[in-house]
Formats: sequence, structure tokens, C-alpha cells
Amino acid sequence: MAATLAADVHLGSTDKSLERLAVQKRVLIVDDSPAQVKLIHGLLEREGYSPIDLNDPRRVEETIVSQRPNLILLDVVMPERNGFQVCRELKASSEFGAIPVILVTSKDTASDRFWGEQQGADGYVTKPFTREDLLRAVRRFV
Amino acid sequence: MRNANILILTDEAEFGRLLGTCWQTERQAPGITVLGSDLWSEHEEIDHELVVVGPLREGKSAEILKSLAPATAVILCAPADSRELSQLRSRYPRLVHIPLREDWTQTLLLVAGESLRRTEAQRAARQAENKAARNEHHATLGRYMMDMKHSVNNALTSMLGNAELLLLEPGQLSSQSLAQIKTIHNMALRINEIMQRFSSLSSEMQEVETAPSLAENQDEPTPTGTRR
Repeated sequence: MAATLAADVHLGSTDKSLERLAVQKRVLIVDDSPAQVKLIHGLLEREGYSPIDLNDPRRVEETIVSQRPNLILLDVVMPERNGFQVCRELKASSEFGAIPVILVTSKDTASDRFWGEQQGADGYVTKPFTREDLLRAVRRFV
Repeated sequence: MRNANILILTDEAEFGRLLGTCWQTERQAPGITVLGSDLWSEHEEIDHELVVVGPLREGKSAEILKSLAPATAVILCAPADSRELSQLRSRYPRLVHIPLREDWTQTLLLVAGESLRRTEAQRAARQAENKAARNEHHATLGRYMMDMKHSVNNALTSMLGNAELLLLEPGQLSSQSLAQIKTIHNMALRINEIMQRFSSLSSEMQEVETAPSLAENQDEPTPTGTRR
């Protein structure tokens, strides 16, 4: 589904910037910490991905609609709306459910992982992660 | 009763000897100290679980009893009228009076055994309370460490990630700067290893605890201001 979305954009427009966006894999980074978002952004950007930054988990759906990401990296512990909630609601949605979601969190116990899987997460990366840890998880999907 | 210590205060040698003999025939004989009133000092440190006050010289009973701490377990084995006993019991809640009648030694041994068992039970209860208090302190420390672990992991993520980003651009930095960044990176990895050990310890502790709570994986939003 993620690949289809990218292809739709590519085929539906002749605009050069949109074409470039379609080729680049867009990864939505949702984390209330600007420092964490900036770091992940930097790590992904130099690998050719097109990162989309979001600090407010309440705006995930509208950002997906406007940016059409191929993958979502989702923090868990956030104010207002935690990552488990976001993941569960995305996966229950017919519109967004096919987009892969990787939980990126410092919650590293077996029960945390289990709970993340229960919410429908496709991957789980624990903080602190190395560049390779993150890229390995991302490359599974895009 | 095996490790119990009993103090017998009496000015009648026969009283002390008789009691000592009776106790020696018991399966578990306590440690017995016999003192006369002339050797008793008001300031004497009492480390006995039970004090048996036998017949004393005129006027010495009140003086000796007055010098004992109210919490002391006391068996009074001396003549006393009911009014005197009433006053003594109000001051010493654990005082038991055994009249010197026929078979008084058997009665005293039974009462002493119960008193020592009660003292032992109270000691065990105090130890359990102290242990519970220590465990509570450890649990508080453990919870604090686990709370802090998330913050430390977030900080480590930034340290490791930014160091790695800088190391990916070796041409932009001097060799000295590169070496320093490598050191920062290595130290961050070492802290990470230490945090992993904390996590393992925490897991072991959670295995001991019953009913692991999934409440931490709550649906409720995290209060604003709380770090991941």
C-alpha cells in the first residue's frame, strides 16, 4: 500500500518536485521531542529518505493526508496522545491502516513490545538506538 | 527459649537455686543470671528477655521494680497484696504475679515459656517491620531509577545519534575532533550497557513481583511535561 501511494503521486503529476517526492521514500517522524525528531531526520535524510517532522501527535492523520508518508516512525510516550493510541487508531482506519508503523521508544520491556504488537505496530525500535538499528528497521519497509 | 536470657533477682539463695535446677531439666534451658538486691544496680543495662523477681529484703522490691523499664517482662514471685499488685500492673503491663504456693515452679516455668515466646514473636515482628521498611526504600529507589531510565535513554539516543552523524562527515572535522567524538560515542555506548544491566535487574525484580501491570501501557495520555 505504501508503495502504491508513492506511485499514485508519481503517475498523477508531471511536476518535478512531486516526481522527486515520489521517488524519495517519505518517512513521517512523530515525536514530541524536537531534538529526537531532528536527530532521526538527519539520520534518514543522508540515506536518501525524505523525512517529515511532526511534534504534535494530534496532527498525525492530517499530516498523513497532506504528506502521504510511506512509513511512520512513532514515539510512544507523548503528551495528549500516546503512540499506542495513535498506532491503534491508524491501524483500525481503512484509510491509513496499510502504512507501516514503527514504534521508536525507550520503553524496552517484553510487555512493552507485546503491547506495541497488540496495537498493530509493524516494527519496534528501542532507544537508544544506533544508526544501523534504525536504518535496518526502516529498510524492512521502504 | 534456647537463646533466651533470664534474670532472677532474689535475696533467697534457695529460690534461685530451685528455679535454676527446674530450668536445667527443661529441653531448652535458657541462660540464667541470679542476682541479689545488693548487686543490683539501678543503672544496670538489662539485656534479658525476662526478669523474675523473687523474695527480696524488706523494701527492696519496690526499689528494684521502679528501676526496671515499664516494657520489661516481669514475673513477680513474692508476697504482695492486691492493692500493691494493682499499682504494679498499672506501671508494668507485662507483670505477672505468681503466688508462692504449691507447684509454683511449674506455673512459673509455664508462664515464663509463654512470656519468652511472646517476646520472641514481638522481636520477629519488629524485624519484619524493619525489613519491610528497608524493602520499601529499595522499591522507591528502583522506581526512581526506572523512571529516570527513560530520560537517560532519550539523552543517550541524542548523544549516540549525533555522534554517529558527525562521524559520517570525517572530512569536516580535525582528527582531534574526530577522536573526541569517538570517545563521546564510546562512553555513550558504555552508559547504554550500564542501563541495560539496570533493565535486566528490573526484569528479575518484576518476575518476583506478582501480577505485572499492563497499566503502564496505558491508553491515557502522558501528562504534559513528562519526558519519554
